[in-house]
Amino acid sequence: MEKLLTIDIADIKVSNDPSVTLVTYALGSCIAVIVFDPVNRYGGMIHYMLPFSTKSPEKAAKNPAMFADTGIPRLFEQMYALGSKKENLVVKVAGGGQLYDDKGTFNIGKRNYTVMRKMFWKNNIIVSAEDVGGAKSRTAKLRLSDGRVTVKVKGVESVL
Amino acid sequence: MSRIDNLPTLPTAVAQLSKLIASPTASAKDFEKVIKPDPSLTANLLRLANSAYFGLRREVTSVKQAITLLGNKRVFEIAASAGFSRVIPSVLPGYNIKSADFWLHSIAVAVLAERLATELRIQVPGLLFTAGLLHDLGKLAIGSFLADEQGALLEKLKQQDASFSMTERELLGTDHGEVGEEIAKQWDLPEAVIWTSKWHHQPTKVDENIDSTLVDLVHLADSVAHMFGYGADVGELARSIDTSVATRLGFDVHTIEFVGGDTEEQIREMGEMFKS
Repeated sequence: MEKLLTIDIADIKVSNDPSVTLVTYALGSCIAVIVFDPVNRYGGMIHYMLPFSTKSPEKAAKNPAMFADTGIPRLFEQMYALGSKKENLVVKVAGGGQLYDDKGTFNIGKRNYTVMRKMFWKNNIIVSAEDVGGAKSRTAKLRLSDGRVTVKVKGVESVL
Repeated sequence: MSRIDNLPTLPTAVAQLSKLIASPTASAKDFEKVIKPDPSLTANLLRLANSAYFGLRREVTSVKQAITLLGNKRVFEIAASAGFSRVIPSVLPGYNIKSADFWLHSIAVAVLAERLATELRIQVPGLLFTAGLLHDLGKLAIGSFLADEQGALLEKLKQQDASFSMTERELLGTDHGEVGEEIAKQWDLPEAVIWTSKWHHQPTKVDENIDSTLVDLVHLADSVAHMFGYGADVGELARSIDTSVATRLGFDVHTIEFVGGDTEEQIREMGEMFKS
């Protein structure tokens, strides 16, 4: 039986139970970073809202998962704590959407994406697949039994 | 537009309170007299009033206490929210939105509208919270326009890359803004709610004699709420954002990010109340 583990908005969860499927809903401008360790079949996911914690240090201290700059490192730390090794991790990304006819006023999705890309570049982390941008709201899932990642948009699910 | 049938009815207390809030002579006692006989409304009102967002230092256990500490206007806004939470069907016909998601979105827009106003140093226009909470009122009744084709709107929204309101108009000859205006009138709700329901997707079309700040703020909050994923429905990002609102309100992406982060916990707390 597949066990669903939901990652809320501004939330991180990792699991070493291969019967678990991690899921997060309604990724608008928020981003889900999805990591899978195929050697041990461990997996983790963050659903962060915002790029930078600089203006909200108290929020970041209370809930680092809200921000890319405090949350993404935490996700990797939690994977390492389970016993995963950096070189084994497969990283996928979904979200970062924007409004239909946004001309840049609300570019939170893009800012969320850019900061993540910079962090990964600095830390030599390769994104193996992504589904980002556009006027789309996404649901993302990671199945730990085989590492399959799916993204659902407007009711249609596809493998990432 | 003809009268909308099969509409859920708001508790009568809310309509009565709506009249009281418009009356300059209404007293705290008048408010209490209307709310107290409705035990379920009272219970929900007290739960909401005690949430972190309303900032009370100690728990209130009676309507009287709530009125004393929060005032008539705030208690009306909370009572309207409590009443509204009761009339949301478990799944919204036509849209297939679950009640929990619809409620979360409604609360998110109410909170974001107020907090954006504060952050932008705009004096909060009267009943902004209620106008934000009830902006999508029309969605409660769109189903009745679809008759036997309940799946048609959803299908069209999935296929098209057009905005939500445009798709509604194409299929139904009306949109949830227009329907919301009609319901707000039938429910005797304050004008702030009527105008915001009607114009929240077209803030530049607001009649000249109406304070457009209210509509602008709800328009902005609605978009921000959808961006942050508060309340999932098909095509939620397929919406037009009126960029003139940015000019009128004078915000930038940093303000939105700050308010988004700052309200997350409060929105979640109220969003998770009344889950059936």
